[in-house]
Parts: sequence; structure tokens; C-alpha cells
Amino acid sequence: MSFDFDAGKYAPYLWPAFAISALAFAWMITSSLLMARRWRREAERLQAELESSKS
Amino acid sequence: MDARHTFDFLTNPERFMAFSRWAAPLLGVLSAIAAAVGLVLTFLVPEDYQQGDTVRMMFIHIPAASLSLFIYLCLGVASFLALVFRQALADLAAQACAPIGAAYTALALITGSLWGKPMWGAWWVWDARLTSVLVLLLFYLGYMALRGALEDEQKAARAAAILALVGLINLPIVKFSVEWWNTLHQGSSTFMAAKGDGLPAIYAWPAVLMGLAYLGAFGALWLVRIRALVWRRKARSLSLKLAEGAR
Repeated sequence: MSFDFDAGKYAPYLWPAFAISALAFAWMITSSLLMARRWRREAERLQAELESSKS
Repeated sequence: MDARHTFDFLTNPERFMAFSRWAAPLLGVLSAIAAAVGLVLTFLVPEDYQQGDTVRMMFIHIPAASLSLFIYLCLGVASFLALVFRQALADLAAQACAPIGAAYTALALITGSLWGKPMWGAWWVWDARLTSVLVLLLFYLGYMALRGALEDEQKAARAAAILALVGLINLPIVKFSVEWWNTLHQGSSTFMAAKGDGLPAIYAWPAVLMGLAYLGAFGALWLVRIRALVWRRKARSLSLKLAEGAR
């Protein structure tokens, strides 16, 4: 068995499908991680601010 | 341990954060391994005698399509728990899975279209399967639009949860559309496949591995997005406390 990357006449359909899927996952992973990091930092900043205002 | 305590970690935000802290990266790593091996097998298996190289499209189209239904089921169950039992974490879970479900559904439609053109000679046909999946995408988009449209978050959550529950009616329509109506889209070739329509054994491993990769990716992304929404809620409540303290 060997790799078969030659899709012949179907290449214009096959490769865009894989590329779009890869891009969609890259977007989902990046946006989810950025969203989590943004709100974690915001919550930590506000928590620190609240604690400093109490003391 | 009774059932109530078994699922405590899913209803208590603190326990959920402790659980998801290790579960999200673990699922992400397992999904990446399954995807790597699945992709290697995708390009190792021989082409199909009828479909040629387009058969490889199956390994990204079927997982996206199956998961689009499963994620909507998760959205429906979470919406039900939020609406009936007023579980705040369930509401966040519903909110978190909608964009992932919409992306998976869009991927199912796009890869299906790219598969349909060389096989059927058309990018799109208004057959029952394709149309009902498009309706599924519209339910996802409608859910997200409704949550964003209303300023009162509680009202928005309630309205969106009702919409999500109404959309559950579409799931059996998508699943059984190929049996109830005469469609261009083929019947099932995996679970519940008719005799002779089943997947050839050589394609089973890449199909299973890519299915697990898509499932694991959904699990990891879902947990990460719920965590983000828990932090956002905490940030908002801290903002209110700070504003009250400043008066």
C-alpha cells in the first residue's frame, strides 16, 4: 500500500473539500481558545481589582 | 453514588471547571491522534471502482454530517435542562455548542456539494436530505441570532431554548429523509445500512477514526467554549460588584 495523492480529474473537488475543512477547524480552535483566554483574563483582572478595592 | 451525584460535576460550575480543565485538552489530543491516523488511512486506501478518488470525501463528509445532528441533539437536551430545570450551566452549554454545530453543518453541506458535482452533475438539488440539512443550519443560525438580538439575556436564552426545542423535530426528518422520500442522496452506508449498501470493510477504519476525531474535536471545543462562557458570566458579576462598591 502507498499514498495516493493523485486525485486526477477529481482534484478540483477533493482538495478544496479538505482545505475548507482544515480552515474551518483552524477557525473553530483559534476562536474558542481566544474567547476562553479573553474572558479568563478579564475575570482574573476584575477579581484582583475587587480584592484591591476591599483592602 | 446516586444518579444525582454522578452528574453533579455537570451542573455545578466549580466542579465543571475542575473537570473540563483536564478533559478538554485530553479530548483535543485524542482527537488530533485519531485525525492524524485517519488522514493517513484516508490516502492509503484504494480508490472506489465507481466513485474513484472522490470516495475520500466520505471520510470528512459523513463525520461532519453525523456530528451536525448529534450536536443539535446536545443543543436540544441542554436547552430543555435550561428551560425546565433552570440550570445555568446547561444554558451556557447550549449557547456554546450552537456555533460549533453550525460550522459542522456548513462543512457537511460544502463537502457534500463538492462531492455531488462530480457524482451527480449538480452542486445542489432540492431533495429532502439536502433541504432538511439546510433547514438544520438555519435553526443553528436562528438560535445564535435570537440570542444576540434580545438585550435581556434571560429572555434571549428562553426564546432561543424554545426555538432549539422546536428544531428537534427536524432531526428525524434529516435522518429518515432518504427513506421517506425518493431522494438523489443515497441511503445510509454506515449504521442501519440496507443489505448490500454497507461500507466496504477497507473503508471502515478511516471512517471510524475520522468519526472519532470529529467527535473528540466537538467535545474539546464544546468544553473550552463553556469554560469561556463561565468566565464571562463571572466577569460580568464581578463588574456589577465593582460598580456597586464604587457608589
